[in-house]
Amino acid sequence: MEIHAYEKLWLALALVLIVGFIGTITYGAAGAGIEMIDDKGGTVDPATLDDHPKFGDPGIEKTGENSYDVYLVARQFVFEPGTSEPLRVPAGSTVTFHVTAADVIHGFDVVGTNANTMAIPGQVAEFTVRFEEPGEYGIVCNEYCGSGHHVMEGSIVVMEQSEFDSWYAEQNQEGEN
Amino acid sequence: MAVDSTTEGSTASPTSDDSELVGDGGVNVVDQSGSEPPTDSIVGTADDSIVREIGHDEFDPVGTLILVLIYMAILLGMWVFMYFVEFLGRGVTVVG
Amino acid sequence: MATAAGNEPLFVERFPDEAAVAKANLLVAFVALGIGAFFGLVQALHRTDILRIIDSADYYTLLTGHGVLLAIVFTIFGLAAFFHWATARSLDQPAVSTLFSWAWFGLMTTGSLLASVAILGGLVPNLGISADVLFTFYAPLQAHPIFYIGLAMFIVGTWLSGADWFLSYRAWREDNPDERIPLQAFMVLTTMIMWYIATVGVAVSVVFFLIPWSLGLIESVNPLLTRTLFWFFGHPIVYFWLMPAYMMWYTVLPKLAGGRLFSDPLARVVFLLFLLLSTPVGIHHQYLDPGIAEGFKFIAMTNTMFLLLPSLLTAFTAVASIEHGARQRGGEGYLRWLGALPWRDPAFAGMAFAGLIFAAGGFSGMINAGMNINYLIHNSLWVPGHFHMTVGTAVALTFMAAAYWLVPQLTGTKLYSRPIGLLQVVLWFVGMVFMSNAMHRAGLAGIPRRTAEPQYQNFDFVTPIGSIFELRVQIAFGGLLLFLSVVLFLFNMLLTAFGEKSERPVDEFLPAPLSGPEGSPRVLDNLGLWTGIAVVLVILAYTLPIAGIIQNGGGLFGGGLPVPVTVFPDVELVKTVLAGALAALAGVLL
Repeated sequence: MEIHAYEKLWLALALVLIVGFIGTITYGAAGAGIEMIDDKGGTVDPATLDDHPKFGDPGIEKTGENSYDVYLVARQFVFEPGTSEPLRVPAGSTVTFHVTAADVIHGFDVVGTNANTMAIPGQVAEFTVRFEEPGEYGIVCNEYCGSGHHVMEGSIVVMEQSEFDSWYAEQNQEGEN
Repeated sequence: MAVDSTTEGSTASPTSDDSELVGDGGVNVVDQSGSEPPTDSIVGTADDSIVREIGHDEFDPVGTLILVLIYMAILLGMWVFMYFVEFLGRGVTVVG
Repeated sequence: MATAAGNEPLFVERFPDEAAVAKANLLVAFVALGIGAFFGLVQALHRTDILRIIDSADYYTLLTGHGVLLAIVFTIFGLAAFFHWATARSLDQPAVSTLFSWAWFGLMTTGSLLASVAILGGLVPNLGISADVLFTFYAPLQAHPIFYIGLAMFIVGTWLSGADWFLSYRAWREDNPDERIPLQAFMVLTTMIMWYIATVGVAVSVVFFLIPWSLGLIESVNPLLTRTLFWFFGHPIVYFWLMPAYMMWYTVLPKLAGGRLFSDPLARVVFLLFLLLSTPVGIHHQYLDPGIAEGFKFIAMTNTMFLLLPSLLTAFTAVASIEHGARQRGGEGYLRWLGALPWRDPAFAGMAFAGLIFAAGGFSGMINAGMNINYLIHNSLWVPGHFHMTVGTAVALTFMAAAYWLVPQLTGTKLYSRPIGLLQVVLWFVGMVFMSNAMHRAGLAGIPRRTAEPQYQNFDFVTPIGSIFELRVQIAFGGLLLFLSVVLFLFNMLLTAFGEKSERPVDEFLPAPLSGPEGSPRVLDNLGLWTGIAVVLVILAYTLPIAGIIQNGGGLFGGGLPVPVTVFPDVELVKTVLAGALAALAGVLL
């Protein structure tokens, strides 16, 4: 089979390009430490979500010196927490999200960042991010989820650690009362 | 001849033979210019304006090579920008 | 040679029945194009908040219609028309049974009508029929059963159309035991094999899960499983749209440029690579799905990246074939030959513009394919920006451009107006540059896709250059130009169809390739071998992920998910319609 020399050159360059792309992605995973959403979050029964020890009362909880877990439920057409009150997180800490959906498939995207996942009934998306600076972010549902999809939004408030600590203590006190 | 360009054997168009093609190409073009309707009113008449037949061995697609190399350079530049500036440059990213 | 075209009878005279079937397919395709494009205009104006004439809840009804009518009906009926024409033409023989051809056409059309009724029913309150589930119909969002049933009928129709072309091939093979498969027929057959493999996913999803579930026979489905089965089919369908366009680029575009195909063997290699790699890549649409291990996502990415190879090869071969034409027409220099191309011919110009936009869409596709960079653009407006360049231009504009050349062969009438055709393809090109460039940028700003009102209370989107308002205006303006382009196209086609018969309505002669199939290995034509390898690759890519989803995700049926939307009350009616349709189908076939 005869292939023109120029086309052979192009074929070789195309292969180099492809390998280069795969190499870049591998660097991102191994070098820059970017992990994918995967199956480590496990599964959950969406029918009994309200009775779930974590998703039954979603929110943020401290798990270590500088680490927190966030349990977050997406349902038509709210994020819990996020929509009726902002999700508050401390700056400079490691926050592990556990996101699931109660009814249909939703999306969870922290606007302007790389924190972006699908929320699928029965599945828990687990991922860890760091918010370095105090500030505010929007959350948007980026998968069509029904006729009110366009109103499904929320916000994240990243607070100074000390400010967050007092808010967190207050919350837990209220919870106990 | 509306014969498939790949058919071999008896039904093949005479154009599948390069040497023949180079020989009589120009004549055919001249032949038809009188009787046909004006070619720019119908679609697909580019080959009415062929001024020379170029066979397989005489054709080096150098212009194509230049264009695809320009394309490759754009792809590489855009990829590096998108990955290292737009993507890795974002503050909040999934690290675990 | 060009003169030979005058002596050979037109396609419609040689194959009147095949021309009629192809015309009928194009008619359905163009009706869908007109309706779908109108919905697209309404959406472009609505979501940019330029003009809102519908309720935002109805936006999703129109969006479902836009997706299904354009990405399923327009594209696949267009494919059927081109493939039916190409099979008869390249094998130089009619279809085995015209009745059978009409049967698959009828089944596909009936299925499309049922699905359309279900979708458009959403605009009529109190009708009780709707299918606001978008093109991807992710469960547990639920459509009326006739949506799924229509879809299933449509898919079966496409299977039968493929059978039609395989029967033609078998008949041809009996008379030509030692010939190489003619190139166009080769492209038709490899594409259909890919389609048979790919549609297994959607068929299982619809027949075993979604239809029983929408009829209330099973209580719930496993949302990740049906979603994965959708993407098993949902990525290769991309190549099902693209392959007829590629067929036109390989076999017709060189002629339209005044040249010849640069290499027949490489064209075969390209189609085989698509057959092998189109399906084991669907998980790249699920990079951000929980419940699928990272390793499977990486495998899907590797396959996807290698799928760039056939497209990059196509870029070279197509441009080289065009350059050949330009040089035969007297073109000189390194790049000055570009000016010697027949830019005033709408069929040529349209396909060339389509290829140019595809080169740009190819880049955004490379970003989409990159596993972790997917976080950046997943489900943002970047993604529709991408596929309006690929299926929305590489495919749609190529189909329209090809119609300028093909329809006169089917009708025997001259194209009504070449200048209007040229204006149409230029409008499409300009409109798409405005719309999809702005969509890509909007996606990077974080604006989501698939939403009626991407304007939120809690935050504003920001874009580093320009403004969000400017992006909105560009999207709306581009959408308007695209709609006008479709109007011009349909007007031109309508007047062409009712034009006067012409002695020489079009130049339909296709020259031989510069490098023919003779020198290429015969194994390229061994379709059984390639089918076997393709199946093995699919099994390798999908067995473990699907097993994991079923094992970990609550089994086949998801374990008691509540049905979130009301079950439709008229299930009995659907059962009657279904029985009637089956009886009608049996009547046609027996």
